[in-house]
Amino acid sequence: MAPCNFWGKLVTVAGFEADDTLEQDAQLVQQCLQGDGSAWEELVRRHTRRIFNICYRFTGNGTEAEDLSQDVFLRVYKTLGSYRSAHGGFATWMTSVTRNLLIDHYRRTKRDRITDSLDDAMPVVENKESAGRRPDQQLLLGELSHQVQTALTKLSPELREAVILRDLQQLDYNEIRQVLDVPEGTVKSRINRGRIELARILHQMGVRPS
Amino acid sequence: MTWNCEHIEARLSDYLDGLLAPDERHEFDAHVNGCEICTPLLSSVSHLLSDLHSLEAIPEPPRLAYNILNLTLGPRAVKKGWLGGFSWLRLLASPRFAYSAVSLVATVLILLTASGVSFRKKPKLADFSPANIYRNANSQAHLAYARSTKFVSDLRVVYEIQSRLSKDNELPTEPESTVPQSAPGKNPGSTDGTKPSAPRQQNRANGIGREIEVLAEEIPVVSLKLSAPLLGRRIP
Repeated sequence: MAPCNFWGKLVTVAGFEADDTLEQDAQLVQQCLQGDGSAWEELVRRHTRRIFNICYRFTGNGTEAEDLSQDVFLRVYKTLGSYRSAHGGFATWMTSVTRNLLIDHYRRTKRDRITDSLDDAMPVVENKESAGRRPDQQLLLGELSHQVQTALTKLSPELREAVILRDLQQLDYNEIRQVLDVPEGTVKSRINRGRIELARILHQMGVRPS
Repeated sequence: MTWNCEHIEARLSDYLDGLLAPDERHEFDAHVNGCEICTPLLSSVSHLLSDLHSLEAIPEPPRLAYNILNLTLGPRAVKKGWLGGFSWLRLLASPRFAYSAVSLVATVLILLTASGVSFRKKPKLADFSPANIYRNANSQAHLAYARSTKFVSDLRVVYEIQSRLSKDNELPTEPESTVPQSAPGKNPGSTDGTKPSAPRQQNRANGIGREIEVLAEEIPVVSLKLSAPLLGRRIP
């Protein structure tokens, strides 16, 4: 089987677009720091969907994702003065803030999920049933997207965040290293293990590759 | 070095991302092509990546950005002064309001027309008084009832005529070919100028005329127009 070389090209193309985005973000941040409310509105408009998607893919819950997205922007707004463009792009910095809040939220709600661990021990058929229990999610997402979401929530948070950032948010290894604050080797290892584990879970759920 | 399954699993993403050196890729391919475990593994992860990359972003709730701005910048600034009183006019520009307004106007027009308010002539203010609206609506309702009754009666008459005509057409008549070629006492081939079927057709026409007359007596007003031209028709 031929390797997927398109991924490298995709990152390269995205990189050209990212340069433009980086400049615009940096300019908007400067205007925000000078008290320009419309610049902040523009930043919110540009990044709301991305942050909401990270939160949703991590938590698997629309309401929690919405609340967490608001918390992210609130924290970014309060700490905007501490952002230094020399340390990386605004989007990467914001993703890092998001990730920290998501991990905090994960630890805070860990106790609530103890009962959910019983569901994890259920056989595969039960997983299918639980996937069909939330019609609101199925309406919001497509079928494949919903199945992927169900499988993602069964991954450990370390592997989950790595796969989300790499394969759903299409960040490169260096950006993920900055966000997760771990060595690049660890990033690669987590992405690799996350993909294999996710494929295995989807296979167990009976999802056939499209 | 010959790669085993552990090597393949550890370098799977590097292979899919195109990060392997040519000799490593060669080793990778050599193992995967002959391994029953690694071939489906590579296939499933490769398809997973295709699926993940094909997923579209989930649309955020519409109120999310608004809530964020409210949380950070505070509630939206409200225009003060007399100009602020006209801020509601912006709602008129929304498609939802436009659709509602059009449907409301259409409903009112239909109700007024049904109530007997005529827009052909200039409507007067008195036409919209409750008593006049009631009177007009009442007369319109009676008129509609009378028209519908007349329509049903017309249909009934037409149906009756058609059914009786078809009944008469179905009566057994002797075709021309069944007329005896020769009658006793007459020479074959000779003719006396009479048509054997003519009296029978005349009787049928007279019979239809009588039936229409009976119908006209039963339903005098409605069937008058219909029966008049038919009664005037006579088969010579």
